[in-house]
Amino acid sequence: MLTVTHLSKRHPNAARAVFDELAFTVAAGEIVALVGESGVGKSTLLNCIAGLEPADRGAILIGREARDIARLDEAARAALRAASIGFVFQAFHVLPTLTVAQNIAVPLLLSGIAPGEHRARIEALLARVGLAGFAQRWPPSLSGGELQRVAIARALVHRPALILADEPTGNLDPRTADEVLALLLERVREEHASALIVTHSQHVAQRCDRILTLTPEGLQ
Amino acid sequence: MSRPAWRLSWWLIRAQFMTRRTATALSMLAIALGVALGYAIHLINTAALADFSQAMKSVQGEPDAVLAAKDNAGRVPLALINEIARDPAVAIVAPVIETRVRVDRTADYAADRTADHAAGRAAAPVKLIGLDIFSAAAVMPKLLPRQDSSGAGMFEDGVHASPALLSRLQLKVGAGVTLTRGDARWRTRIVGDLPAARPDDLLLVADIAWVQARFGPPDAVSEGRLRLMPGTRLASWLETWAGRLPAGLTLRAAADDTQRVSNISRAYRVNLNVLALVALLTGAFLVFATQLTAVAQRSTQFALLGVLGLSPRMRLLQVLFEGLAIGMPGAALGLALGYGLALAFTRVMGGDLGGGFFSGSTPVIEARLLPSLGFFALGCAASLAGALYPAWLNRVQPLAQALRTGFAQRPPAVHGLDARPRRSVLIAIALLALAALGLTRLPAFYELPLAGYGAIALVLVLGIAAAPPLTQIVFGAFARRALSAPQRVAVQNIVQAPLMAQVAASGLIVSFALTVSMVTMVSSFRLAVDQWLDAVLPAPLYVRSKGMPLPQELLAALEQGAAPFARIERTAHGALSLDPQRPAVVLLVRQMQRADAAARLPFTGPVVAVAADRVPVWISEPMQELYRLAPGRTLRLPLLGREVDTVIGGVWRDYSRQFGAVVIASDDYIALGGQFEVSDLALWPRRGEEAAAKAWLAAHAAGYGLDIAESSEIRAVSLSIFDKSFAVTYALEAAAMLIGLFGLAVTLAASVWLRARELATLSALGFDRAMLTRAVMFEGALIAGIGLGLGLACGVAIGAILTHVVNPQAFHWRMELTVPWLQVLLGAALTLVAGVIASRFAARLATRLPAAQVLASAQ
Repeated sequence: MLTVTHLSKRHPNAARAVFDELAFTVAAGEIVALVGESGVGKSTLLNCIAGLEPADRGAILIGREARDIARLDEAARAALRAASIGFVFQAFHVLPTLTVAQNIAVPLLLSGIAPGEHRARIEALLARVGLAGFAQRWPPSLSGGELQRVAIARALVHRPALILADEPTGNLDPRTADEVLALLLERVREEHASALIVTHSQHVAQRCDRILTLTPEGLQ
Repeated sequence: MSRPAWRLSWWLIRAQFMTRRTATALSMLAIALGVALGYAIHLINTAALADFSQAMKSVQGEPDAVLAAKDNAGRVPLALINEIARDPAVAIVAPVIETRVRVDRTADYAADRTADHAAGRAAAPVKLIGLDIFSAAAVMPKLLPRQDSSGAGMFEDGVHASPALLSRLQLKVGAGVTLTRGDARWRTRIVGDLPAARPDDLLLVADIAWVQARFGPPDAVSEGRLRLMPGTRLASWLETWAGRLPAGLTLRAAADDTQRVSNISRAYRVNLNVLALVALLTGAFLVFATQLTAVAQRSTQFALLGVLGLSPRMRLLQVLFEGLAIGMPGAALGLALGYGLALAFTRVMGGDLGGGFFSGSTPVIEARLLPSLGFFALGCAASLAGALYPAWLNRVQPLAQALRTGFAQRPPAVHGLDARPRRSVLIAIALLALAALGLTRLPAFYELPLAGYGAIALVLVLGIAAAPPLTQIVFGAFARRALSAPQRVAVQNIVQAPLMAQVAASGLIVSFALTVSMVTMVSSFRLAVDQWLDAVLPAPLYVRSKGMPLPQELLAALEQGAAPFARIERTAHGALSLDPQRPAVVLLVRQMQRADAAARLPFTGPVVAVAADRVPVWISEPMQELYRLAPGRTLRLPLLGREVDTVIGGVWRDYSRQFGAVVIASDDYIALGGQFEVSDLALWPRRGEEAAAKAWLAAHAAGYGLDIAESSEIRAVSLSIFDKSFAVTYALEAAAMLIGLFGLAVTLAASVWLRARELATLSALGFDRAMLTRAVMFEGALIAGIGLGLGLACGVAIGAILTHVVNPQAFHWRMELTVPWLQVLLGAALTLVAGVIASRFAARLATRLPAAQVLASAQ
């Protein structure tokens, strides 16, 4: 579902590369944890995979059609993200001026899924993330755990091939973090998606199928 | 765009409106105001022009061509009328005599005059048209009379009156009247009315032979109105006759008259529309400030949408749609307001917007689809223009960075700049200044100061563009000095966030520049008018008739020793048509000696001595501009039915007659064969007999419908008219300043919101509320200072353009530039105080930030 080959990245005016000649694969249905020390380039790698930062060299093949996001223009990258990638962030990033249902509907609208399906999908997902009856609630009235559940529903609603999660439990207390992580893994597996989860937490990493460790020397 | 994408767009627009109600509503109102002003001006002017044109057609009929004298004292010989009538290309010629007469209600006009005066019904002159009923039926059907039941015919001694005149004189058909013009008097009766006359036409119509017999001219008429045979090409027919006409006569296409009516008020209309555009510009600026702060505040949200798959194009379009969502209801509201304003204005004030071109008309306001759509589109375009830069910034925001840290103050293209402005920016600013200067050197296009307006727009752009480099230069140096902690926070923020400082300052730059420029222009103009009035009103008392010779009784009484006047100056008025496309030039025949000219007229330059065997004339400044004339040059004038070569003795200042005036000494005019029919008097009472002089005039001029005024009254009325005609600009200035201050407050508040974490950190590090307040208010004061400084510089520059470029090109008036420094600096100080007060709103926001919560949140 995700194949990275010969990926290199160097920041302008930096003495050394952030990473060089990286190569790894995340198979269909596989959940992979990406760990590493702060500043080693985990977020930069995630940004490159999402097409938010350009890589200097290499290929990033995404989805069932294995399209190389590194070779697409900005509009095509946006279209590929809309169709094939779901995102979960540490800071939740739920739009405060849209209702819970509208937040979850955003990927459906962007990926062009028929409007007739929206309501059923949203209600089903809300039930599965434990937020049945929250559809018309406004984000400012929700707790951190609830917000992250909304974000998980939003990441899965358009049935993407790949989920990219950046410290999905970083802003939650241990008990809520555990619940949210369980929910995320369960729903990803249920949807038969692949996932790459960037985390500092060994506890989170241990629950994934595989762990990749990014070091200044490369992936281990 | 797909339906789902529209839905997302609509959600975001609705969310934006719900969360920023005040800013959105004010932006809409500002757009509405601009559209309303422009639309109302358009509706009133269109209606007034149509009304004027219809009034002209109702009197003139609908001929193809008009044969007339270039000098209103000239005549068209009947022999020429007959010759033209024999031309096979001519279908019919309608001879017309048009004159103005005073109407007294009874045959005993002296008794009537006294009675009318006592009743406050002093007779005003009305138009008397003499026509031939057979030709008039074909060319001027609206002037055809209805006869009374007695069967009195058109060919009998009598006049026909329009219903408006009958009502005004409180007369009925059959009543006796006395018509007077100068020495000529016609005692007659009203034998019928004019059923097709317009409701506000004050007209008398009689058979041409009767009018000619009573008031002249013998063997001649005022005009011949022609219809050509079908298929005749008007332009080529006019050309064939142009060379055959006697000197002093002109044969013009009747359509020129309609065009001339439009030309008369064009510059005034364009100027009013530019004022409306200024209002629209302030609306566009508010949309700009609102949308830029909205983009800044929602940068994380837009970044998230970008990450989720919203294309860059859609991120750009979304902000434009939001601008349009402000502009469309704003423009629609503007159309409704404009229509209401136009209706109310015409009901209360008639069709004249202050230029005096359409006074007395009562036009009917009619909203037409195409112009309405045009103004609607203009409102939307202004709103879109305001949203353009914020939309572009939203398009180029780096997603990953914006998602992590929020709005990037500088677009990626200019990242990495140090605190000094780039050389290319400074060169661009210098080029802009040069371009503005170049535009001020260009002449008028189609007699409109379009290049001048362009230069004004460039100066405003220049002011806004100069804000960031000036901010960096001034505050960069300031930042290197020892400052208190709040001051350092304020200065550092301005230096490092020049975009927000630019947005905050640009409102003040634009609004203060417009205010200073208008105050400067109006002040310069008022001072010039004041000085001019001193020069043109030397006598204590003035008497003026309304387009007719003064009554002989009055003139004869003035000659007698009993009249308590030490000196009397007589003037006659005429009109000379020098160009069929332009309004006629006013001819002033004045009782003065050639040698006195320098002392009698307010000359703008040297007075040229003219040889004794030549005829000197002195032209007004507008005439010099319009006809490109110069002192010493020969000027051929159509005087008294022939072309007379005169010499221009000098150019005098005239703020009264926009289309030009020429003065000739009465002795020269009489020597040329003219008749000196006095219409105005300037009177100097004998010393100590001022009160007696006024009483004498009141007794001798009663009932003639004359204007009698002291010079102080004329001066007061003139200045009051001047102040009224500029009153609307004061309202616009006040609105612009409020918008500028609002922009400052909104942008500072947005800046505080964007720096919430920084301010919360400062709070955690020991900044108390007073220090935070001082920091934000100091920042507000510094930005206001930059805005006011640049606004002042731009304002003086625009004031100079208005005074030296726009006024001479649009209205042909020149004057000295006078900057009212005390007024301007006082205004700047007050605005600075208001700016500091406005920034207190942002400071309160800063002190109420929940610091702990802000610091705890990652975003």
